[in-house]
Amino acid sequence: MFAEEINPDNVTSADIVVGIPSYNEAASIAYPTSRAAEGLIQYFSHKKGVIINCDNNSTDGTRDVFLNTPTEVPKIYISTPPGVKGKGNNFRNLFRKVLELGAESVVVVDADLKSITPHWIRHLGEPLDQEFGFVAPLYVRHKYDGTITNSIAYPMTRAVYGRRVRQPIGGDFGFSGRMAEIYQTSAMWTEAISQFGIDIWMTTLAMNNGIPICQAFMGRPKIHKPKDPGADLGPMFRQVVGTIFEMMISYAPFWRRVKWSKPTAIYGFGLGEVEMPPPVNVDQAKLYQKMVEGFDDKLDLWRQVFTEEVFHKLGEIRTFSPDRFDFPTHLWAKVLYDMAVAYKKQADGDKDALVESLIPLYYGKTLAFVKKTEQMSIQQAEEFIENECMVFEETKPYLIERWPV
Amino acid sequence: MAEKKKKILIVDDEEHIRFLYSEELADEGYDVITADSGYQLLEKIEKEKPDLIVLDIKMVDYNGLDLLQDIRNKYYDLPVVLCTAYDTFKEDMKSIAADHYVIKSFDLTELKNKIATALEAQVPED
Repeated sequence: MFAEEINPDNVTSADIVVGIPSYNEAASIAYPTSRAAEGLIQYFSHKKGVIINCDNNSTDGTRDVFLNTPTEVPKIYISTPPGVKGKGNNFRNLFRKVLELGAESVVVVDADLKSITPHWIRHLGEPLDQEFGFVAPLYVRHKYDGTITNSIAYPMTRAVYGRRVRQPIGGDFGFSGRMAEIYQTSAMWTEAISQFGIDIWMTTLAMNNGIPICQAFMGRPKIHKPKDPGADLGPMFRQVVGTIFEMMISYAPFWRRVKWSKPTAIYGFGLGEVEMPPPVNVDQAKLYQKMVEGFDDKLDLWRQVFTEEVFHKLGEIRTFSPDRFDFPTHLWAKVLYDMAVAYKKQADGDKDALVESLIPLYYGKTLAFVKKTEQMSIQQAEEFIENECMVFEETKPYLIERWPV
Repeated sequence: MAEKKKKILIVDDEEHIRFLYSEELADEGYDVITADSGYQLLEKIEKEKPDLIVLDIKMVDYNGLDLLQDIRNKYYDLPVVLCTAYDTFKEDMKSIAADHYVIKSFDLTELKNKIATALEAQVPED
């Protein structure tokens, strides 16, 4: 039993589910709901479809907006109990419901999506009929949108687990019923995963369970609520990065045997001219200031975490002026690898402090990336990121050597 | 027992490229076979079972990026190195289904390095 379930059409089985997790998204949820319904009608009319809003007991009327959005496809609303928040908790409910309904295909989209079209449902759902068990999105994103993805989540998952998933925390995915079962029965669950760590957890589990992964081209940018990379990160950084490190502990026997990385299949072309994303403005002065403040605050902790070589090099970059600031990629890779090692060695209670100590360095890396790519097109910045990923892969022996066995 | 030679399939419609690459890659210790077009490429792969494919993009009758999709959909982990005279195809999202993208040159150092890396790449199945 869910804390709350509203199933007006008494749906008891389905072939394909579109899941929309939410918390207080009354202002935006109607749009992805109606587009999802159109996608199911246009491309999956031969299947029994249902749209499920998995909600955190929103207080702004999200439930009513969702249920009252006109659709030709049935809808189900399920919710966590009052006071239980977290996107991951929403997904846990979704996995349960998917298994109850016996669905073989699941597409999930964010509730605040402004750019979703019916094609998104098709491109995230159709590969599941072709033996792929996990479908990740490929969007055209502004070079400064998704900096946690570009500087941490993508290079780390690629180098560590050996699979190139460009948007491992995109928020819009497809997965099979079999994958839902893996998620539901996984013994690995933390507070961070129950919140914003859920996306990276889902992608990483797919990589570690031998599930064929496909990346589907969405054709349009992801238009949601992008933030200035210099703005406050909130708990998201700690939850995403903490989950990356936590999963490295569980899956070490796997990733220690991974060499280099492999691409995935790509799906979803023929969408015509690709729309360009809106610009993202970056406050470089703020990034620099936050990095410098971190140096003053975290130096003692860093001295314990990083190798002497890395610590010394961080001291060097501290001396760079804002105009000449740089953060070499091989140093950034070693920073993350050293931190992963320290996380493994650390007692439970102090792990959050470790992850949060990375934040000033993340700001510094982001500043360096912005400066390097200032004159680059989106495509040129993509090539730059690919080259950075190769550095992560080339530096992996360092991680393996330092990892406690 | 000597390790079996890795087999490389070179797909390029230019004879001098096929010749040059065959010679140089054979010198590196590979077993090399060639195809001059994308015609019945999947059948050829099924028959010859190469360990890696070096794939041209701009061929007279075939687009290597489309062939790449066909290969990747059927052979999930078969390494493919795109080798082309044009940098611009990197802008085509289809290219990311390849293991590596190399610009053609008479100096094959980068191609050889990418081939070696792609053959060494290993993702455990369990």
